[in-house]
Amino acid sequence: MKKNKTRFDNVTAYTMLIPIVVPLTIFVVIPFVYALYVSFYDWSFYQESQFVGWRNFINVLNDPLFMKAIVTGLKFALFVVPAQMILAFLFAHVIRSMGTRLSGFVKTSIYIPTIISGIVASVIFVFIFDYNAGLANVLVNMFGVENQAWLADVKTALPSIALPAIWLGFGITTLIMLAGLLDIPESYYEAADLEGAGSWTKMIHITIPLLKNVVLFLLITGFTGAIQQFELPLVMTGGGPLDETTTPNLYIFNHFRNDVLVGHSIASALLLFLVLGSISAIIFKVLNSEKAVDG
Amino acid sequence: MQAYRGKVLTGILAAVLMFTLVLSGCGNSGTNEGNTGNTGNQGSTNEPANDGNAGEKPAEKVTIEFWANKFEDTTDAWFKKWTDEFNKSQDQVQVKLTIVPGDAWAQKLKAAQAAGKAPDIMTMSYSGIAPAAKTGQIKPLNDLMDPTVFDDLYDNVKEFVTVDGQFYAYPKLVEPSAVLYYRKDLFEAAGLDPAKPPVTWAEFIEYGKKLTQKGIFGASIAQTAPDLGWSSWGLQHNAAGHLPITDDWSKADVMNDGYKQLLTFYKTLYQDGIMPKQQLSAYADAAPFGQGKLAMTVSGSWAMGLFRNDYKNMLDKIGVAPMPSIDGDQTKPTSTLGGWTLVVDGKSKQPEAAGQYIQYLLAGDPAIMIDFFKTSQFSKFSPRKSVDDAMNQDEAASADEWRKLIAEKVIPYAKAEPAYPWDVSIAFATAIESAMKGEDVTKALEKAEKTINDYIAKSKLAGTNPQ
Repeated sequence: MKKNKTRFDNVTAYTMLIPIVVPLTIFVVIPFVYALYVSFYDWSFYQESQFVGWRNFINVLNDPLFMKAIVTGLKFALFVVPAQMILAFLFAHVIRSMGTRLSGFVKTSIYIPTIISGIVASVIFVFIFDYNAGLANVLVNMFGVENQAWLADVKTALPSIALPAIWLGFGITTLIMLAGLLDIPESYYEAADLEGAGSWTKMIHITIPLLKNVVLFLLITGFTGAIQQFELPLVMTGGGPLDETTTPNLYIFNHFRNDVLVGHSIASALLLFLVLGSISAIIFKVLNSEKAVDG
Repeated sequence: MQAYRGKVLTGILAAVLMFTLVLSGCGNSGTNEGNTGNTGNQGSTNEPANDGNAGEKPAEKVTIEFWANKFEDTTDAWFKKWTDEFNKSQDQVQVKLTIVPGDAWAQKLKAAQAAGKAPDIMTMSYSGIAPAAKTGQIKPLNDLMDPTVFDDLYDNVKEFVTVDGQFYAYPKLVEPSAVLYYRKDLFEAAGLDPAKPPVTWAEFIEYGKKLTQKGIFGASIAQTAPDLGWSSWGLQHNAAGHLPITDDWSKADVMNDGYKQLLTFYKTLYQDGIMPKQQLSAYADAAPFGQGKLAMTVSGSWAMGLFRNDYKNMLDKIGVAPMPSIDGDQTKPTSTLGGWTLVVDGKSKQPEAAGQYIQYLLAGDPAIMIDFFKTSQFSKFSPRKSVDDAMNQDEAASADEWRKLIAEKVIPYAKAEPAYPWDVSIAFATAIESAMKGEDVTKALEKAEKTINDYIAKSKLAGTNPQ
């Protein structure tokens, strides 16, 4: 009797998995395996593809621009993710202390940038960074500084495209952070109050440790998302000046667009996959996530 | 952020997937394509129209796909108008036109090519022809079109579409990549003679300095590597008499005085503040000049169309001249002739029908092409002698001073766009940009030389020049 039931459970379980496993296989697993396969070829759509062994990968790894693009992606992520997390952490506290009505309004407002497309945001910020009459230059002019070439100067280009990225992701990060904060039982803070702990001590010993899983999630999605940023440099700088803002995905896109054969693009995409996987693994390792000990 | 993550990867994977699906589906077709030409399912949608005719054989129209890049609205309208006319003019071929935006072009086309579903006909720029012909992506047109239509082409343009002695494309237009536009009124205000635009690079710099004032920059020219990559080809010819690679593509050829002067020219314009430190718009878009923010600008001939359509009140203040040259010799090339052609896909099942359409649209009645050049405000130029002859009879066209100047003083000296891979162009363009941003000219060129040589070795480029 018991055996039958188990079998029945398994059938139900597998049936319920089908809707996700089948599309995943078709749209992710098979293409991925096929991409691996063609990355070893000079893949042409019109002629016999030629086996080239590791050459595509070697070419990508020997391309200084690919390495530079990875570093650019990392730098970009370091501009975006920490700033976003700190701002979101602070702002989530502000929202938590608000009344229901006001917090509802604020939550809706800060979520708006999240639903704005990256392309639209890029165009808005291109206007802001306009050399002649952009808002940014009007602001610095007020302090007596002459016009800055925000998007064309090697030093300012990457931070300038990081700004819209922070703006775009700030809302959703704050809301997730807020959900994490609200999840911490009030009784912990009450107990801490009885022990005479100040707000700093409470933050260090209660809030931050209990937010660990939320932070882990935000760090990993934030980092992998930021490294893969694509539209902002495409629209705002075209990857320039001097490739300072060529992120890995833009690099792949440029090769995909300009190369006669697609092997190089596929090899670089697979290598980027490795990089992203390693970064996620490192973050997991460093934060050493376990399920938060529940009270 | 999640929404756009990995879009490119997804695109590639989607392409891969489609390819596999098609592979599995292709097995049993293909053998019967020779029978009637359209036993497939393509023609079926057009049949009902003819079903009512009693007794007669239903005339099945062959349907072919045509993808055109998104150009100016007037050009899109021209494509639609004459494709409809073609479809009405005969009962053999039905052309289905799709306008594809420029930023989606590469993804859409490559995905379709991977799936074996590329359009029968597509637009292609001159620089794309040789690589596409070499890899079998497009078919030679010699047998698909009446051979005499190629005799109508100017000799230099004929070369642009020739690979290994065969014609792979039929050209629609040529447009020089670099023309000087300047403000006559600002010239006068600065004490310069508006009838004498600069002819040397030194003069261009000198005038630019005089013309710079608060709110108006003296000059503007390409300043980002992707723009410089193609817009400086003409000036590379001008400076050194050749491009930065040997003719057999075996070695970089960049260390010479001409290129040093070229880099110094750009560097001076940038460092001295004659041009804006951050571009006001891309090189191809001359709108800031029309808006009065620049005293001189260098852009393609297409800017004339922009000024005439969008900045009519500025027209009498605008002067047009050939781009200045290194030493003032205006018979040296300063431009490349860019432009667009139509090509037939290498796997097209209906190449004859495709050829027939191209012949009708681009190589047939000159009136069709004149209609196009009129809508473009004569900012583009004909690759065909007969069209020019007919246009000279046309009052509006023959009275156009700007058209005349470019046709007589720029185009005859302009060069073809190079056929080598973009990597070579971008390497040299990066040298120009890094010089502008402060790098030493010689060091910038040395770096370009190394990058180009590395690329040649890596991609086995030596000896592959198809032209």
